Amino acid sequence: MKKILQIEDHPASRLLIERILQPHGYEILHADTGEGGITLALAEKPDLILIDMGLPDIDGQTVVTHLRQNPNFSRVPIVAITAWPPETAAEMAQRYGCDGCIVKPIDIARFPAEIAAYLPR
Amino acid sequence: MELVPANLFTFDELTAAYNQTRVDYLVPMPMNVARLREYALVYDVNLNLSAVALQNGEMVGLGMVGLRDRRGWVTRLGVLPAGRRQGIGTAIMETLLDAATARQARAVWLEVIKGNVAGHSLFKKFGFVKTRELIVGRRPPAPNAPGPHPGLKRVSYLEHADAIHLLEQRPERPNWLLETESMRNVRHVPALPQDGSGIVQTVRNLSALMVELADGSQGWVTYQATFLQLTRIVVGVLKGEPAAVTAAVLHTLHRHHQQQDAIVENIPDDAVWQGFRQAGYFEVFRRIEMQKS
Repeated sequence: MKKILQIEDHPASRLLIERILQPHGYEILHADTGEGGITLALAEKPDLILIDMGLPDIDGQTVVTHLRQNPNFSRVPIVAITAWPPETAAEMAQRYGCDGCIVKPIDIARFPAEIAAYLPR
Repeated sequence: MELVPANLFTFDELTAAYNQTRVDYLVPMPMNVARLREYALVYDVNLNLSAVALQNGEMVGLGMVGLRDRRGWVTRLGVLPAGRRQGIGTAIMETLLDAATARQARAVWLEVIKGNVAGHSLFKKFGFVKTRELIVGRRPPAPNAPGPHPGLKRVSYLEHADAIHLLEQRPERPNWLLETESMRNVRHVPALPQDGSGIVQTVRNLSALMVELADGSQGWVTYQATFLQLTRIVVGVLKGEPAAVTAAVLHTLHRHHQQQDAIVENIPDDAVWQGFRQAGYFEVFRRIEMQKS
């Protein structure tokens, strides 16, 4: 079973993504802070990380920076999920080493296929 | 709806309400309790004079005011989605401005994110006028460490007191966030309780580098370095071409701090910002600084 770590502080967004992805057979792990996300990522070694860029302690960009400096996470797909304007979100994701970026509100119908495309086969 | 002083609430309650006001904001910037507490302390926010709006006993909005000498600063103003379009933001603003006036503030400042049309209109209605645009920029760590700047002659490593001294000498007016008072207050932030992870580290001092180049140019940078980030970055140019000296100073800074993500806030769009760009920073968004005399 593929393991997805979701780093998201907003309970409604967290629940929505869980409800969309769980029926597709993923194990969903949660952290609601940047620091908690780093700790959980190091402990659980997820197959993919979904990260909200606006987090209450350290923001998503800094979390991605930290994870990418760890050789164990140099190839793990990291996808930013953000409410930033699309152009800013795309630039931020690219500059910070994310594999992609999905702008909120997410498209519920397309979301599982978008996520599957980032996962190694 | 009633307005009550913010100091009647705990930081946990204020943080939860603040995050709700920003849930659908143009640039989402949630905070945790430690960050809001630090924010209030560093920027001289007066919670006795700050206001919370209540409706049927529930918090529906809040706004904060900082005071320094005879100057005021309005910040963290927001209304929860359920309370919008009912005049709550206007009522909070009136309370904050009355509080600043009662404390003999001759001018009140604020910043609004560029593109926040509703916020900008509200502040104009209260007589605020735009003074300048300010940039929030970032620089991810570069994958390969740069060599020394080719024109580098000497680097001096300075401590907190020296950094404050340099900041005091700035000829230009900094934004409230970057005023010397803010930087002095960094020392007063209480240490975070250790949770054992060791990732987030509380640092309560500034550092500084003084950089001299072979052509006689000279500049400095003050900053706060944590394990993950460089923040509160301010560059001063003493001699030489501002963009080139800024780029050289930042090159030296990032050579010494290769792993950290760097954030620069509220600097004007001028030659110094061009130096930041040359050093790998990019613009994330802009704020409009406004003043009411």
